[in-house]
Amino acid sequence: MRAYPLTWRLLDVLEAGVAKVFPRRLAGATPYLMLAPAVLLVGLLVLGLFQIADGSLRTLDTTTFLMSESYSLDNFRRALTEPLFRNVALKSFTGSLIVTAITLMLALPYAYVMVRTKSAALRKILLIALFLPFFIGQVVRAYGWLIILGNQGLVNETLSFLGIGPFRLIYNYPAVLFGLIQYMLPFAVLMLAPALTAIPEETEAAAESLGANWIQTFIHVVLPMARPGFVGAGLVVMTLSLTDFAIPAILGGGSQDFIANAIYDQFFRTSDQGLGATLALLLVAAGSTLVALVFALVGTGTLGMGRAKQ
Amino acid sequence: MTAAKTGLDRLAVEKPVGSTAVSVRNVNMVFGDYRAVDDASFDLEEGKFLTILGPSGSGKTTLLRMIAGFQAPTSGEIAINGIPVGQVPPNKRSIGMVFQKLALFPHMTAAQNVAFPLKMRRFDARTIPSRVAKYLELVKLGGFANRRIHELSGGQQQRVAIARALVFEPDLLLLDEPLAALDRKLREEMQLEFRRIQRELGVSTINVTHDQREALVVSDEIIVMDKGRIQQNAKPSATYRQPSNSFVAGFIGVTNFLSGLVTDVTDSDVAFVAGTQPLFGRWVSTNVRLKAGQTVKGAVRAEQIRVAATPDRLDDLQTTVAGTVMDVIFEGERVVYEVRLPSLQDATIRVFDHDPSQHAEFEAGARVFVGWNARDVLIFAE
Repeated sequence: MRAYPLTWRLLDVLEAGVAKVFPRRLAGATPYLMLAPAVLLVGLLVLGLFQIADGSLRTLDTTTFLMSESYSLDNFRRALTEPLFRNVALKSFTGSLIVTAITLMLALPYAYVMVRTKSAALRKILLIALFLPFFIGQVVRAYGWLIILGNQGLVNETLSFLGIGPFRLIYNYPAVLFGLIQYMLPFAVLMLAPALTAIPEETEAAAESLGANWIQTFIHVVLPMARPGFVGAGLVVMTLSLTDFAIPAILGGGSQDFIANAIYDQFFRTSDQGLGATLALLLVAAGSTLVALVFALVGTGTLGMGRAKQ
Repeated sequence: MTAAKTGLDRLAVEKPVGSTAVSVRNVNMVFGDYRAVDDASFDLEEGKFLTILGPSGSGKTTLLRMIAGFQAPTSGEIAINGIPVGQVPPNKRSIGMVFQKLALFPHMTAAQNVAFPLKMRRFDARTIPSRVAKYLELVKLGGFANRRIHELSGGQQQRVAIARALVFEPDLLLLDEPLAALDRKLREEMQLEFRRIQRELGVSTINVTHDQREALVVSDEIIVMDKGRIQQNAKPSATYRQPSNSFVAGFIGVTNFLSGLVTDVTDSDVAFVAGTQPLFGRWVSTNVRLKAGQTVKGAVRAEQIRVAATPDRLDDLQTTVAGTVMDVIFEGERVVYEVRLPSLQDATIRVFDHDPSQHAEFEAGARVFVGWNARDVLIFAE
């Protein structure tokens, strides 16, 4: 019986057992079965969203601190007209746009070197440096920046040694953007790297032999061919920074609120769950519209999903 | 052959610039302790089609990449049109290259691909569309200008790659095994297409391949490489008929090697014994003398051997040997017999029979006679 090892026979028994429970003609359903846990998880979120939608239509009675029984669109009117919320929204959107642009610019050379370097050691160092920040939480990292950039921080101490400063490096808008960029960089690199790997080195060599210098090769060949990576990385960075909470809260010191901070304030400071729910819904709507718009413009195919074009 | 070529090289250097398209002088490429290219020297005459032929790892692609400028030789000099290109980057060399995987730009149309080198090389923008059209016409893709690359068939993509490499009228065309991935029929069609375009434009061309048939079909000259060294540099017919060593003899065509001991040498005629069988052959090397008792290999091609049921049918041949058919391989236009020869220490040789219907088709196990002429046995020292 040496020709038919024990492990094979065990697998046969297992397979026969599975066939009894799950007949072969249902095999087409297997992918859906495997999808079920994910659908369930997202489904729970959608349920929560319904509850939030319900809350958004109730206003807070400031005398009793109870939510109204009747529905009204008052919260939406406030969220869309009050200058406070308009400023927060503007700050968040502009911020996430700037963060996305700078992050992509910084991630591109990093990913390119990581993918193309001939040195295995350098690739390892770059990869470790990329994953290391993931082990340190966002909050811890933001506090780290406070220590480095604070009035008595490392940077200002060094500057005062040279006789300049101190400068106010935290609790302002640039500090929040800086923190966000630093936080988003690994995500962008990870999304860009596969897109760059997919560009054959031979194609770059071809561009060179056809007369392009490296800048021209980059602009006319590498960038257009890496477009799926840019779209993917851009979407991830944009949506993550638009909805970020910890970095605007800590590095902004309460003065540089993003939408998520405004929502937090409504839920846990003013206790106006209705308005908080309204802001949350609007954020979800804006984010979804953005993603849908990008997909409509460039197509999901460019993300390397769907049937890949050769 | 090699010695004669070197003599010509010296003359070529003194000729005016323009007659030698590429000159490679004592080029070496060393990776660590691995010598990828070992002292390669050759000249390519203007307008000629040269093929560098060799097995994988023979250094042929490394040599081509050095000419293209993607790698710098460890030592030695490469000159294009008489000008040393050691310090010239690939984009400043006037070389069109067709890559193994074509390396077309998937985000551009066929016409945009072909226009790319013209834009990069700052051709007059007004002339670009007509030039692109002319070269697409040359490769018979007139109606496909606005197709995306993935909308073209494999053969059409090949043609775009050729047009893109030629449109800026480079001094030199390099082909890095672009046909290797094609199926046989398309490959043979494209070989002839390469040949036609090359003749039409008269562009000096270096082609790299491991396909001996392709080398014989398309080339004016063939350089055979093995283990980083140039083994032979000659015209296709000479490479086939007068291989300079046993590697070349074995690499091109189907060659049977018969090992034996030299018994007698008269001028270029050699008598030797393999097993118990006396054999005769030709010794072509002029600078080394063979001595009796020396071990040699006699090389005889499968198509130079005839097979028959009785020895009297092979009367016109100098050597006839009895054997047993071990295997019969039907290849359509010919039948290949594998025949074991007891008198040659059971050596198995391969024999082509191009017209089996004239004689009889033998089956495995049949007792047969094989024969050949002494002039078809080339002797190589071991």
